[in-house]
Amino acid sequence: MSLFTRNVLIALVITVAIIGTVAYAVNYLDQQRIEELNAIQNRLATDTLSIDTQFALLEEAPCSDLTDGTTLTTELSDLGDKLAFTENKLGATNVEVLALKEQYTLLEIRDYLLTKQLSNSCKLDPVIALYFYSNKPGTCADCDRAGYALSYLRQTYPKLRVYSFDYNLDLGALRTLIGVEKVQPNFPAFIIQSKVSYGFTSLDDLEKQFPKSLFATTTATTTSTKK
Amino acid sequence: MEKIARICYASGDSRLSLYMHPEVLAYPFIFISLFFEAFLLVTFLSRPARAQRERKASIATPKVAIVVPCWNEENTIGGTVESLLALDYPKDQLSIVLVNDGSTDGTREVMDSYIGNPQITVIHKENGGKHSAINLGIERSPDAQFVGCLDADAFVAPDALREIISCFDNPRVAAATPAMSVYEPKTLLERMQNAEFIFGIALRHIIAAVNGLYVTPGPFSFYRKSVIDEIGGFRHAHQAEDMEMALRIQRNGYEIDNAVRARVFAKSPSTVRGLIKQRTRWTTGFLRNVAYEYRDMVGNARYGALGILILPLGFIAVAGGILMFILGIFMSIREAVMTILITNGVPLSYTLIPHSLQLFYFPITTLLVLTLVVTGGIMVFIVLGKRVSQTPGTLVEGMIAYLILFPFIAPWWLIRSFADVATGHKRAWR
Repeated sequence: MSLFTRNVLIALVITVAIIGTVAYAVNYLDQQRIEELNAIQNRLATDTLSIDTQFALLEEAPCSDLTDGTTLTTELSDLGDKLAFTENKLGATNVEVLALKEQYTLLEIRDYLLTKQLSNSCKLDPVIALYFYSNKPGTCADCDRAGYALSYLRQTYPKLRVYSFDYNLDLGALRTLIGVEKVQPNFPAFIIQSKVSYGFTSLDDLEKQFPKSLFATTTATTTSTKK
Repeated sequence: MEKIARICYASGDSRLSLYMHPEVLAYPFIFISLFFEAFLLVTFLSRPARAQRERKASIATPKVAIVVPCWNEENTIGGTVESLLALDYPKDQLSIVLVNDGSTDGTREVMDSYIGNPQITVIHKENGGKHSAINLGIERSPDAQFVGCLDADAFVAPDALREIISCFDNPRVAAATPAMSVYEPKTLLERMQNAEFIFGIALRHIIAAVNGLYVTPGPFSFYRKSVIDEIGGFRHAHQAEDMEMALRIQRNGYEIDNAVRARVFAKSPSTVRGLIKQRTRWTTGFLRNVAYEYRDMVGNARYGALGILILPLGFIAVAGGILMFILGIFMSIREAVMTILITNGVPLSYTLIPHSLQLFYFPITTLLVLTLVVTGGIMVFIVLGKRVSQTPGTLVEGMIAYLILFPFIAPWWLIRSFADVATGHKRAWR
């Protein structure tokens, strides 16, 4: 075997080994991400159940004991961001991503119901927006824009609670929510303060659907930036 | 990436991943680049390359002639000649032939100032192209056992000739190439070229170990005179006479060696425009010579590493460079358009400020890591090139400039060369 042939073969082995190692390492990191999401999800599930149980036990109790719900919603939002990032990276059809997404959706619905209960019982005044999108190609041209606008509103106005749902996710609780709220498959779909609307044109138009009280609570700096 | 995560948060839109498909086109080129680097590394560590590095400078001093073809180089020709006169070599064994190829500046006067020096022959001729000037110089050196060429804007280290001559101990070696770097690089562009040239030093040193060189560069390459007499002198060869000569040597079954410590310093283009023009000439020279006159060598096992690996990779490098550049532009524009469309109406302050620096969002992909590995490999070879050639000067700025500037400049001469070859367009030398 000539020196050239030998070197080519060794180089091929090295190349395959490097690519294999890199692919394995990147896959390992992705799995770590999924495990991190799982851990967050499990913790949130326990916290949600805990607050839920507390709420049931202390129906007449002072609402100050239940303020943990706000923190929970924030953590749920962070989890949503991470899940979306992971879905974008691994693909919407990834089995683990789908499983996480279903659990996340359940947590969202549970948190949504809990928030509604808390606001009624404790006279809290959160602004709630439900957002339904579709991942199916060609079914929602404005979902990217609508999603981004909602992300902006959520981060700018802490009082706003946004719950986003993949309309096509095959999950019983979600189907029930869609049925109860009578959401049609026109995307993007919003339920803002219990009122259903469809389509997205601009951030300004979206803002008009929210109660004025949402924007009144923000600082002057935020308001001026918005302009 | 965090921005995309936020976009997806609310929309849950995984269609973004579909847009990433063009990246798949990059994988074959990443694989080839990685394979080539692995091949270089293995060959660098192999016995022939080690033997080359350990080879001592020649003690023997056969008769040598150095031809300096010159066209309008009044500013540098003096320095070039002085560096030749300072070579550590017996004066009676070294003759210098200065050939003025119809210069229209003060080159004639500078050259004439050396008339009377017993080592130097000065020839003035009508302009006929670099190849004609070299051939005339060789013609006027009938006694030389080895002839070398030196561009009139290059300068040699004193021990360079002895390093070069040692290559010819092997009777199959018909030509030897030097270790070329940039003469006193000052600007960022010059430093970038210096890093690139030093990468070239490593490349030539390693490829010579498997006899895969396809160019004997103008600055200080040497030839066994008997071989030139046998296969003929230089040709116009699409303005790449040094490449054509190397290919002809290889086709005739001879070897081309490299003297990794034979340091020569060449002036480099000081403007991007000049650089693109120079490299377009080099690249079209490669494409035309190999695609037209030497097509039979491509993929031909008879020519070993040169035929099977180096020449095909030359074409792949041109195609890959163009494709990656176009892909990069396409993806950048697409990303920009998507971002503008999606963020339209949302305050810019929100869009531009990163909202999360968590490690979770760091966009580690296989392609990104492999690209970093390939880039790291290039950096390693640049450092190796500097070490084995003992080239003086610092490299850090040059390497940074090479990393940042080269990917944006090189594609232009590749595209221009491809277009010139496709359309048959010919350009002037300068």
